[in-house]
Amino acid sequence: MISRVADHCFWFGRYLERTESTARLLQVTASLALDSELTPEQCWQPVVITAGEQERFAELCGPFAAADGDAVQRYLTLDERVPVSLRRSIAAARENARSSRDVISLEAWEIVNELHLYLMSPAAREDFEEHPYGFYRRIRREAQLCLGLLRATMLHDTPLYFCWLGVLLERVGQTARILDVQYHAFLAAESAGRGAYPIVEVSLWLSLLRACYGFEPFMKIHRGIVSAQSVAAFLIFEPRFPRGVRHGLRRVRDLLLAVRPTAPGVPVPRAYARIEALEEWIDGQNATRLDARAVHEILTRVVDETHALCDLVQSELIAAAPQSQSQSQSQGQTQMQSQFPSNGGA
Amino acid sequence: MNLFGGYRGLPGVWDELFDGEGKPRLGFGRAIDALDSRTALEFGRCQTLAERALLNQGVTFSVYNDDRGTEKIFPVCLLPRLISAEEWRKVEEGLQQRLRALSMFLDDVYGEQRILAEGRIPRELVLGAKQYLPILRGTSAPGGVRIHVSGIDLIRDPSGTFRVLEDNLRTPSGVSYVLENRVVTKRVMPRTVDVARVQRVEDYPARLAETLVSVSPVSPEESTIVVLTPGPYNSAYFEHSFLARTMGLELVEAADLFVDDDRVWLRTTSGPRRVHVVYRRTDEAFLDPEVFRKDSMLGVPGIMRAWAKGNVALANAPGNGVADDKAVYAYVPEMVRFYLAEEPLLEQVRTWVCFREDDRQYVLEHLAEMVVKAVDEAGGYGMLIGPQASAAERDAFRAKIQAEPRSYVAQRLIELSTCPTWDKVSGHVVPRRVDLRPYSLFGKNGAWVLPGGLTRVALVEGSYVVNSSQGGGSKDTWVMKP
Repeated sequence: MISRVADHCFWFGRYLERTESTARLLQVTASLALDSELTPEQCWQPVVITAGEQERFAELCGPFAAADGDAVQRYLTLDERVPVSLRRSIAAARENARSSRDVISLEAWEIVNELHLYLMSPAAREDFEEHPYGFYRRIRREAQLCLGLLRATMLHDTPLYFCWLGVLLERVGQTARILDVQYHAFLAAESAGRGAYPIVEVSLWLSLLRACYGFEPFMKIHRGIVSAQSVAAFLIFEPRFPRGVRHGLRRVRDLLLAVRPTAPGVPVPRAYARIEALEEWIDGQNATRLDARAVHEILTRVVDETHALCDLVQSELIAAAPQSQSQSQSQGQTQMQSQFPSNGGA
Repeated sequence: MNLFGGYRGLPGVWDELFDGEGKPRLGFGRAIDALDSRTALEFGRCQTLAERALLNQGVTFSVYNDDRGTEKIFPVCLLPRLISAEEWRKVEEGLQQRLRALSMFLDDVYGEQRILAEGRIPRELVLGAKQYLPILRGTSAPGGVRIHVSGIDLIRDPSGTFRVLEDNLRTPSGVSYVLENRVVTKRVMPRTVDVARVQRVEDYPARLAETLVSVSPVSPEESTIVVLTPGPYNSAYFEHSFLARTMGLELVEAADLFVDDDRVWLRTTSGPRRVHVVYRRTDEAFLDPEVFRKDSMLGVPGIMRAWAKGNVALANAPGNGVADDKAVYAYVPEMVRFYLAEEPLLEQVRTWVCFREDDRQYVLEHLAEMVVKAVDEAGGYGMLIGPQASAAERDAFRAKIQAEPRSYVAQRLIELSTCPTWDKVSGHVVPRRVDLRPYSLFGKNGAWVLPGGLTRVALVEGSYVVNSSQGGGSKDTWVMKP
């Protein structure tokens, strides 16, 4: 397929997945903030960090705005100035789809176009102010519908593979970021509240699972026994959980092979070696003895490697694509590292 | 009250649906009754539904001069324009004849120039046309076709006669709206379309693909055909992607193509792939910076060399502009007689060519009655409508004509026919002026005309300008089944 179009497909997938996961995270956190024992800042600051937006957020909304859930939500939903806001993400997804309409199916296009028109309309702001749960639900559902339609209406061929590579790499990165940031924040909150509110911790880990769609799958395996360690292990290592890191990486590897099958005489793209090494490394970690430091170490590596893989997909597999667009390389990796110095566990 | 209750055409103007006494024209009774079974309120709802459907599907055009890339739907009126099967057959034959003559003219102008040698058209007029490309002299188009896709605009005069208003032989647009209007009409007024018995339009993309493959320098199975667009910010981008999608071809931008060894290649994820036919929707001036505008970012350097070598077919062929020049237009009937030894089947509009001294004199003396057009402008720009213009505007045009007579032609103001049209503000049906752009395809096996075409309507009361950039909209055109 045309390199430029492959590039649009890849980014279409990334932005679509980013929209869905951001809406989900905001929805789950809004629900958590209602009745948890955490301060508003403890709930919302991790959301801002996960989005990689601390600096801009402080600059635009003030240094203490992370304690204001409404401010955080407004910032990440309809704010035109914020590249990762839902409105901008969907606009970017739609723009990439519009530039590859000869391969994106009509059905999928219509959904993303309608969602874009909705987010640009006054109705979206009204819904957001009046009934945020319904607002997030609508965005998530339409994004999910669009993801489903891609698979149900497009030829299972290279264009779809590139869309899906974008979706999966974004999804793995997003799961890793959410887990890393929230894990750290909740551990801190838990240790501060230990003894006084023994029940607090469970609600936090459940919230984290919900943000990654892992609540019911987790319960099926762990039968209601929830701990920080088991939740982290589930989200990282469980091969059957579709939003888990391990599962996502396996799927990415399959897609890489589908896009560029190995053949004698054809150089093997570096992306293969890279993802194989990452999978092996993760398999070598001890899932039963995970402390906070180990979790952070694993997730940092996953986030870095997904970035590197995105770059390799573009340079090796999409290749020769005219460098016309300056699409934002996903949310700030550097902020995350600086936020978590190596003593970040405890 | 029903939808058409109280509808009256304009005096001295042909109405497409009703005769002078307000009765449905012959053969339209069934369709008009079906439309008329609604109240104005009910019709207004259909209209709203249709507009929302078009917006949601992204059937839009980009608005120029808007750096946010705003998109609008092309305004559509759901009340169709009707044409009887018999009338259509005449139009079709007339268009096919005209296209045959125009094609032969282009081959001649870029070849022997017989028609000029025999003095049937003034040599200076043709060779002086801005769109004449001397560099192409002696080249022949791969596949032998130059006017693969054309949109020859027709109007209807007060006697009901169709007349050619202008020939568009370069990159005529709008056909996607014909197809999308039909889809939406069928969706919101299914029974009406059923009862009216309308000829279908949906096979256009398949016919276009067939036309393109017919001119490929290699066998159909080996051919790679692409649609070349200037990109998502072009006002007709929707149409480019629509045609690519419905033909199953790849939509490419100039940077996706390159030329090597006088062959055109596509940059793909699995390496370069040879391209054999390009349906290009990029203006000629931007097509190849080696030959045309050096500053073009939309061009493919070397593509003209590949074309001249016969390694890639371009649809439409470069250089066609000399045949749709508004001054050369005056001589098309002469071309029909010269090349085909036939009388033209289609009338056209009497045109005074300011290049000719007698004509110029007449135009300058009768400016208040004439419509003056710049020969190389389009979209309703660069035009003087004498009867509606101020004295100062007329004086300005007088000076322009005297300075550059080759650049202007004039016609009398023609009372364009009207068609009943929905007026959203008043909630009534009102007469508005229309033209018709039928789309013709010309492949190795001859010409085919899409039944109907795009009816453009001047939505503003009293306006004669149907262009979308100036308050025009569109209508579905229903050619009745015989």
